[in-house]
Amino acid sequence: MATVVVARPAARPTPRARDEEVLVWPDLVFVEFISAMLFTVLLFVLSYVMNAPLLDEANANVTNDPAKAPWYLLNLQELLLHMNAALAGIVVPTVWLIVLMVFPYFDRSTDGQGRWFADVNSVKNTVVSFNVGMWGTLALIIWNSGKAALWAKDWFGFSGGSTLAFLERSAALKDPSVVPWPGWADSIPYLWFNLKILDEGPGAGVTTFQKIDLPTLLVDIGIPTGFMVGFSCLLIFFFWRINWVHTRRDALITLMSGFVGVFLMLTVIGTAFRGPGQDLIWPWDLRTLEGIPGQE
Amino acid sequence: MAVEQPTQPTLGDQIYDKLFHNYVWRSIFRTGYPNTPRNQMLVVATNVFLHLHPTRIHRTHVKITHTYCLGGLTFFMFLGLTVTGILLMFYYVPSVDRAYLDIQNIQTNVQFGQLMRNMHRWMAHAMVILVFLHMLRVFYTGAYKPPREFNWVVGVVLLVLTFLLSFTGYLLPWDQLAFWAITVGTNIAGSAPVLGPKTRFWLLGGFEVGPDALIRFYTLHVIGLPLLAAIFMAVHFWRIRRDGGLARPL
Ligand code: HEM
Repeated sequence: MATVVVARPAARPTPRARDEEVLVWPDLVFVEFISAMLFTVLLFVLSYVMNAPLLDEANANVTNDPAKAPWYLLNLQELLLHMNAALAGIVVPTVWLIVLMVFPYFDRSTDGQGRWFADVNSVKNTVVSFNVGMWGTLALIIWNSGKAALWAKDWFGFSGGSTLAFLERSAALKDPSVVPWPGWADSIPYLWFNLKILDEGPGAGVTTFQKIDLPTLLVDIGIPTGFMVGFSCLLIFFFWRINWVHTRRDALITLMSGFVGVFLMLTVIGTAFRGPGQDLIWPWDLRTLEGIPGQE
Repeated sequence: MAVEQPTQPTLGDQIYDKLFHNYVWRSIFRTGYPNTPRNQMLVVATNVFLHLHPTRIHRTHVKITHTYCLGGLTFFMFLGLTVTGILLMFYYVPSVDRAYLDIQNIQTNVQFGQLMRNMHRWMAHAMVILVFLHMLRVFYTGAYKPPREFNWVVGVVLLVLTFLLSFTGYLLPWDQLAFWAITVGTNIAGSAPVLGPKTRFWLLGGFEVGPDALIRFYTLHVIGLPLLAAIFMAVHFWRIRRDGGLARPL
């Protein structure tokens, strides 16, 4: 007797409960229609009171200072100020998009789907993670901009001098007068042949990773990666210890909510608090901010 | 015993009859307003614009607070951007000599030109915000869980496509804001080790933002990316049906 084994999908649509259902026409179609109309009116009003910005004609010889990417990329531009360019501009967004795509393959249970938040803890979890992400980011930005040290000096007359300069910005750690790096540390050869991959155009030549620059590697890549990965793991671990995180879904909620907080803070700082030379300034001192009436 | 007599049709009835029961109207809409459940289901199932919907859905899903219409509104922005975008295309030529002047021309000489440009710009911003919020709604309702894993992945692709659509459009006015935003933006892409400079070169068609970059961004913006986005949206919507409608507690 042959038994036919049919592959079963991991999960299938559940049978419908007819009496729980409503008709799409009129119930859903009307809701869709009304929200579409509402948005149409809203956008007409917005377009009536606020003009799209148009500055002077593009000129490669006149730098726009501050030169800013579109606002949804300003989070990356803000990251760029604090770490290795490739890490901030490429690795972080790429890795995050991959992590996002992997979410449903990591959390495979069907519990709690189709409901806002899984349980009471998820709400606490979301709110706290969001805030930790947001204010933690702000604290790091202020610290790494040197503002914290400046305020400490202005208000308390406290100054760490050059030995405590790393409290102003992480980049100071690269300085041999702060950390006694041995002379060979910034050019450790590890390749015995010349490496040249795909580089052409201005500045092309032997690639820069021919030698390892240990201080730069540690400060521009090591520390930021440590913060990003370490803080996320630490937060999830902490919530696990206080019983807010039980399942994989809970861990994802922590991760996602923290991300949203970080993303929001980076975007806001990059958009409204970065002036000429990418210095931290107050939004009212900023000249060209897209979408402010009368400024375009 | 008084028997109710049939009344004469009022003027309103007569006008209604003339308007909606004539030969031409009936050639377009074969039936009247669908006022029985059976006809309402038939309308949704057979109308080309409505048939992406199922004919019935679970009652929790028509509650505004379940989806806040965010996915639908994102799609609506896409449609609106297509309409306003086509209108802008009538006047805009993607050449370095003309682009900026064309935008000025649209704002000053074209009837409703400024309005169209504003609508296109604000809708683009709205779409980016809405797609992000839609993703959060899907996440916090746990709607990415099986069997919807793949539709979530399709969603992430749509998120990236939305960003790219907006980013490519940003260069087109060819003003200082556009020029430097794209310079900064593509520099970010160029910072990748090994592949970065090459990627930047391909994006811009050169080493800096110039005529070649403008035509590339334009082509991607008005045909390449919208086409891709439309394909992925079709898959996205179809998958929602195939996965048994929106997620709900088992
Ligand atoms: C151009 C972008 C997008 C459009 C037009 C779109 C459209 C829609 C629409 C109309 C729905 C029906 C329910 C609702 O309105 O919430 C939906 C559901 C869904 N979307 Fe999107 N979406 C987009 C992007 C995304 C993104 C970025 C994600 C996630 C990363 C995503 C994941 C999903 C999932 C998993 C569902 C099923 C939700 C459920 O079963 O409750 N979509 N989408």
